[in-house]
Amino acid sequence: MINLLRRNASLMVIATIGAAAAAGLWQRDGGAAVGHALYHAWELFLFIVPSLLAGLLLAAALRQLMSPGALGRWMGAESGWFGLLVATVAGGLTPGGPMAAFPLVLVLGGAGADRGALIAYILGWSLNGFQKLLVYEVPLLGPEFAIMRTLITLPMPMLAGWLARKLPIVWEPPK
Amino acid sequence: MTPGQMFLWLVALVALGFCLRRGPGMLRRVGTETGQSLVKILPLFAVALPMAAFLAELMPADAAVTWIGPESGPLGVVIASVAGGFMPGGPFVTFPLVLAFAKAGAGVPQMVALITGWSIFAVHRIISWEYPLLGWRFVVLRLVSALPLPILAGLLAELVVEFLPMTIGTP
Repeated sequence: MINLLRRNASLMVIATIGAAAAAGLWQRDGGAAVGHALYHAWELFLFIVPSLLAGLLLAAALRQLMSPGALGRWMGAESGWFGLLVATVAGGLTPGGPMAAFPLVLVLGGAGADRGALIAYILGWSLNGFQKLLVYEVPLLGPEFAIMRTLITLPMPMLAGWLARKLPIVWEPPK
Repeated sequence: MTPGQMFLWLVALVALGFCLRRGPGMLRRVGTETGQSLVKILPLFAVALPMAAFLAELMPADAAVTWIGPESGPLGVVIASVAGGFMPGGPFVTFPLVLAFAKAGAGVPQMVALITGWSIFAVHRIISWEYPLLGWRFVVLRLVSALPLPILAGLLAELVVEFLPMTIGTP
């Protein structure tokens, strides 16, 4: 039950906000405005579909090809900036949503990655994941903006990982 | 098809080629997994895209100008960073909403801060995935290490935009 709620929580939150917004729009501008907005959403969907399909295919292929265990050995506590770089790149290449990325943190941790590298990994995924970038950000917000934002945040996971290694908060991967 | 989409297809086909070299079984697994992902994602799209479209229509043309407009400066960057952390849902919600904000007059550096804030803080993701799987110590460690990054990103973007003016959205 909890699991079902967890998996569908975003769906329900979005549906609730969406229904409220539709009601508000109907109230203010009438049914035609709601229809117009729906048509706009459909156009947006058609625009995203080609990237979405390619992104999902690539994501599934990468999951089959990558070996997290081998990667984790490069990301130990003594790995320095190189380990943080490996973690950041691996995070950026990790496809899929949180249901894919967070369990991988456990796998990498089990294979020897330290807390700094794991922080860099998760931030590399959430800040600069290639799938989000190519499927959503470039088509919707334009290449100029997407490239500028990506270049600015590119080194940030390494910075945070370096800081995490200095912080006196001990964390061990749960067994 | 846009150049970005063609590039994505090219990379995907290369990766599929590598899978095929390791055997047709792997290619079949890729196909199955892609189908499962589509089944999971399509319902989200079905509610998220209309929601973003409704909100975009509802938002008055200059609603975003005062708080997160181009003239809102560092304070607008801070506001956008915090707001980003509370955006619900995945990229299929956030990016259409950012587009809506931009049409309502939000500034480019402020939107950089918003996306960075969402990437780092996303409260719903912490509650439903990070805390249960990795524990609160990991959450605290990550949040403390990354706390200033959205604001830093917004301020850097402000510098960039000064020399290289740009707009959000494909014309």
